[in-house]
Amino acid sequence: MQRIFVYISSILLCLLLTTVSAQKKKNKPIVVPPDSTVWLNGFTVQADIGSLVTSTLMSGDTYSSEAAIQMDLKHRIFPTLEFGVAGANKLTTDNSGFKTNGTFERVGVDFNLRKRKIDSKPTNNLFIAGLRIGMSHFKYNVTNVPNTDDYWGGSVPLNYMNQTSSKIWYEIVVGVQVEIIKNVFMGWTVRNKNLISQDITGAIAPWYIPGYGQNNGANWGFNYTLGYHFGPKNKYIKNKKILLNQKQLNKQ
Amino acid sequence: MNKSIFIVFIMSILLIVSCATDDSCTQTKYVTFTADFFHIYHNDTTKINTIYAMSIDSLTIQGLRLDTLTGRYTPVDSILYNNSLESKVSLPLNNFSTHSTFRLKFKTISDTMTIYHTNMNDYLSLECGCVILHKIDTVTITRHFIDSVRITNHDVNTINAENIRLYK
Repeated sequence: MQRIFVYISSILLCLLLTTVSAQKKKNKPIVVPPDSTVWLNGFTVQADIGSLVTSTLMSGDTYSSEAAIQMDLKHRIFPTLEFGVAGANKLTTDNSGFKTNGTFERVGVDFNLRKRKIDSKPTNNLFIAGLRIGMSHFKYNVTNVPNTDDYWGGSVPLNYMNQTSSKIWYEIVVGVQVEIIKNVFMGWTVRNKNLISQDITGAIAPWYIPGYGQNNGANWGFNYTLGYHFGPKNKYIKNKKILLNQKQLNKQ
Repeated sequence: MNKSIFIVFIMSILLIVSCATDDSCTQTKYVTFTADFFHIYHNDTTKINTIYAMSIDSLTIQGLRLDTLTGRYTPVDSILYNNSLESKVSLPLNNFSTHSTFRLKFKTISDTMTIYHTNMNDYLSLECGCVILHKIDTVTITRHFIDSVRITNHDVNTINAENIRLYK
């Protein structure tokens, strides 16, 4: 429940900032999106605040920290590289332990699904959908696994140390990005994660996969990002001018 | 706010709420060795043996543990079957020994059955821990009530399939 509370409050905070930002912009100069005829419109460096907050508030079982670089091609296609560190230190009610620390990478592409209407204001805000391929190679320990014989008696706990695993998965991503101040973007993504490389039956499967989460079938992920856009300078124009131009177009 | 963004927002909340995880183990961990009882009927005129599945009345089964000091078998405290009517029995094999011995009591007659097996760890998950699977090598039995024994499946696992047949 704690995790759900964190997620929902993060979403609400993001929406609140979006609304406030939109209201502030009503009477201010607005930014024209980069020229759609130019292929490379710079790139955005993002940090995932959501994972940091979640890791702090969670009961200490898992942690994750990640960043991303997102290219802007024609303001429609956004090749993205995400990378980070994550780990887990889980203790079950039976005192079985799982411990791992590892890095992960994800590569993929997002598409801006937001189509600008002729009479709408120009904006840098994005409504994105995309795909990722994620991978992680990591070591882990599984300790104190109970092994008892209830009928004949006896107990010999098992330890599996220095296990290694490589996992590949894909993610379907949807989200929004909003420019809250000049070149500073805030947004969130929800992603559905599915493993491509499955565990063999009887193998010492990891409880947690860095970048993927708990190894228990398909996973849902949530990112809440803050980013800065580096690239061509945006053009500032007044709202009035746009409205005048639109009126002229309508007359024609 | 764009209408489509609002829809995605609502869907996201529903999806996140629905993904709460549960740490309890839902897999079965009971690994038992299964023996079925059969009766062999021999027709003297046709010289043909016919095999019937049979139920045993007043069956009592208890594990026997070897006392290394005295070299004698002592019964395990818990009785697996007590004076019951059974056509098949499921018995736990010893996880920390390569043989498991049982006393099978049929009313007044008793047989001692020993199963020689190898043990293998099978890790399930962090929540479930592991189970010990077995592979049967040999089965021996005293022939007081039971006439013969045949291994039908060497693998003892959670599936609970027939492993041996006991013929009377």
